Amino acid sequence: MPQFLPLSAPVRAASALSMIAVGALVLTGCTSGATTTSSSEPVTGGTLIYATGDAEPTCLDPHVGGNYPQALVATQYLESLVSLDTDGTPIPWLAAEWTPADDGLSWEFTLHDGVTFTDGTALDAAAIKTNIEHIQDPATGSSTGYLALQKVTSVDVVSPEVVRLVLSSPDSGLLESLSQPWLAIESPTALARGTDINCESPVGTGPFMVTAWDRQNSITLERNPDFTTGPADAAGDGPYLDTIVWRFVPDSATRYAALASGEVDVIDNAQPDAIVASRSDDAIEELDAPRPGASNRLELNSGKAPFDDERVREAFIRSADINDGITSLFFGTAERSYSVLSSVEPLGTSTPDLFTIDTDAANTLLDEAGWTRDSADGIRSKDGVPLTVRFPVSTNQSIPAEQSLFEQIQATTRAVGFDVQLEPLDLSSWYGALGENQYDLVSAPYTKVGPDVLRILFDSSGITPAPSGYFANHSQINDPALDLLLEQASAAPDATERASLYADAQKIIVGRYFVLPLYDQQNHFLFRSDVQGLRAMPTVSTPTFAESWLDR
Amino acid sequence: MSALRWTVGRLGGLVFVLWAAATLTFFTLRLIPGDPAEAVLGGPGSQASEEALAAARAEYGLDQPLVVQYLTQLARYARFDFGTSYALRQPVAQVIGDQLAGTIALAVMALALAWVLALLVAVWSTRSGRLAAGIGTGLEVVAVAIPHFWLATSLVLLFSSTLGWLPALSGSSAAGLVLPVITLAIPLAGFIGQVMRESLLDALSSPFVLAARTRGETATGVIWRHALRHAALPAIGLSGWAFGSLVSGAVVVETIFARPGIGRSLLSAVQARDVPLVTGIVLIVALAYSVVTTATDFFERIADPRLRLAAVA
Repeated sequence: MPQFLPLSAPVRAASALSMIAVGALVLTGCTSGATTTSSSEPVTGGTLIYATGDAEPTCLDPHVGGNYPQALVATQYLESLVSLDTDGTPIPWLAAEWTPADDGLSWEFTLHDGVTFTDGTALDAAAIKTNIEHIQDPATGSSTGYLALQKVTSVDVVSPEVVRLVLSSPDSGLLESLSQPWLAIESPTALARGTDINCESPVGTGPFMVTAWDRQNSITLERNPDFTTGPADAAGDGPYLDTIVWRFVPDSATRYAALASGEVDVIDNAQPDAIVASRSDDAIEELDAPRPGASNRLELNSGKAPFDDERVREAFIRSADINDGITSLFFGTAERSYSVLSSVEPLGTSTPDLFTIDTDAANTLLDEAGWTRDSADGIRSKDGVPLTVRFPVSTNQSIPAEQSLFEQIQATTRAVGFDVQLEPLDLSSWYGALGENQYDLVSAPYTKVGPDVLRILFDSSGITPAPSGYFANHSQINDPALDLLLEQASAAPDATERASLYADAQKIIVGRYFVLPLYDQQNHFLFRSDVQGLRAMPTVSTPTFAESWLDR
Repeated sequence: MSALRWTVGRLGGLVFVLWAAATLTFFTLRLIPGDPAEAVLGGPGSQASEEALAAARAEYGLDQPLVVQYLTQLARYARFDFGTSYALRQPVAQVIGDQLAGTIALAVMALALAWVLALLVAVWSTRSGRLAAGIGTGLEVVAVAIPHFWLATSLVLLFSSTLGWLPALSGSSAAGLVLPVITLAIPLAGFIGQVMRESLLDALSSPFVLAARTRGETATGVIWRHALRHAALPAIGLSGWAFGSLVSGAVVVETIFARPGIGRSLLSAVQARDVPLVTGIVLIVALAYSVVTTATDFFERIADPRLRLAAVA
């Protein structure tokens, strides 16, 4: 299950010059987030109950650690410097405007006037400086936010309203990075209280405030009466709700039962069976908000045999027949992807032709690669070594439908002589298996805003594990040409050039059969139809209740 | 003298059980893959920097040799200091204190309901002929075999989704307790019922029952006043074991019904490799288990004079 969805990492993002052009490029891309429509006027008041299937955060300050469960709830009480519109173009939020220097090595952000945190502290340039330094401080324990700020070397307070970020090299993804909830801005007064207290009651400028946290049960959020901000694309005059009760309901069947009976108003991590069941219930509606960053995909470990041979990788991909499986196992709620990037990423390229099933071609490729088929069980071997493919599966991240799909991959690739060994593991053991290079295949979702996710996932530096043992380049692509493309794209000042560099990079990744894309990272929400004005943020697809009200 | 020796022996056994539980838990959690320092930094797969990891390891003593960590932990337990949870950043004693009452309420009510169900089925099925005996045995076998997760999900589907009588989420309300208690009680009632029926049948064929009947006792009176006392003995003994099974059942039930409690804490703590919290919960459960077993032994001695006489002899 996506309960422990992977730590989503930050991005570097688009430069100011590219921002204008991005709008044109994204016309071909999909958009995330749907807005519920309503005919009547918003009503103030009421309590909304949100049942989340994600893990309970251990800290409500997303600077600490930094995962999706934190992003989900923090969206309700924290705000970022910038946001994105549905086309992926950066738009003002806490910052009213921004300007990069000509050399791209510094950016000046001008803040909105008269904004205060809910503890009364004023939002000023010094507060921004404190926040960025807080994320960069090792003592904070940020594992997501600090990656987004790797190019930021210092922060200068130019005036109370103007703050300057100084970079070590140009960053075309800076604004995309800053839009993520893991880099949200908190009250410096509250941060000064220390990690333990701030984890329980972080203070921001958002539409709601954290007022209580009953562990293992719920978080209570109350309306911020002095709310003045909101991203530039916000609708209405909210927040309207008095209270949000954020309940932790790990079991998906219970979550849906509670929604169907009206005990709760919104659920996340809606499973395919629940989505289908909800379609015959007029009182329930769906919000489908695929996460940005990478698509869900299988990565083939090219760092060792057998997948160090491109012919074997191609044979595997040509024989792994998944389209019917996706349709039946997900009841039509998930669409097959042919891109390494999420469909909400404007710069993603889709190449269905590379993934057509052809078992004859697969058999020929394996013959050519020297894998012969002479054992009675049909498994190929080479020099006495069977064509075994180890596939550790995270039972925390892969929902039951996905695990069944992996069994179909096991069955269809067996027809050409692969012996896929599925190994279901809990999250810690799964990371352990990856860290020890005990895998040939793996599915590892990755959420992050913008195409720079490719640099995290496929740059050769991502093969070297981080101090914690974590590494992101699971396909272990080690290609200097790809590294160079991703580096250039990350610093590209021109949007057209950036797009073309990322297209070339994707051509290498999918064209040499390092990955088998499955579908977008599924992110389905179901809600009672009297919940109005709910939308998903175009940043990391977390729902926001800033504009929501109850029509009852 | 024998009562004193019994008590001292029991206490010694208790200390040994607690030490063994702490030791096994400590080393098991360190042997399975996963770095506890990551629990401090937001869970498995964190991309924490070298400095952040070093700071976390130093803060929790994880940079010390394993034996030193183990002995430090034992020394702390000897002072009744359970340490601080890595993941929750709260004292373990506080976490357990907050969650324990809910689980105990659940377990006690489930145990009580299981006893009532077992008693009713056993008495009815031993008294009402062969068909009833067959039905009773069948019910017990099915009840024993049903897994908690299946039962819980089925009850939610029936009583919450379909009928809408009871909430799916177990909160603080009394209604929210009904489904979790039933889920835990049914398999347990099967176990207790099986044992109880067998001893009830034994007792009913004993000479003292015949003697009672000849004195003019009714069939109902024989069961309630004479035979049940015998039949209850093995079932009391089983209740000690049952308490342990209730705690493991609580892991499932608290998760499915979204109910706070130490079962759910234990699950998330194991997943996060949160060594202090896992060990703390295991110790509390071991302690509770020992106390309950001691109590059941004690009650058995009260209910059965033979045990006391045997000890004296």
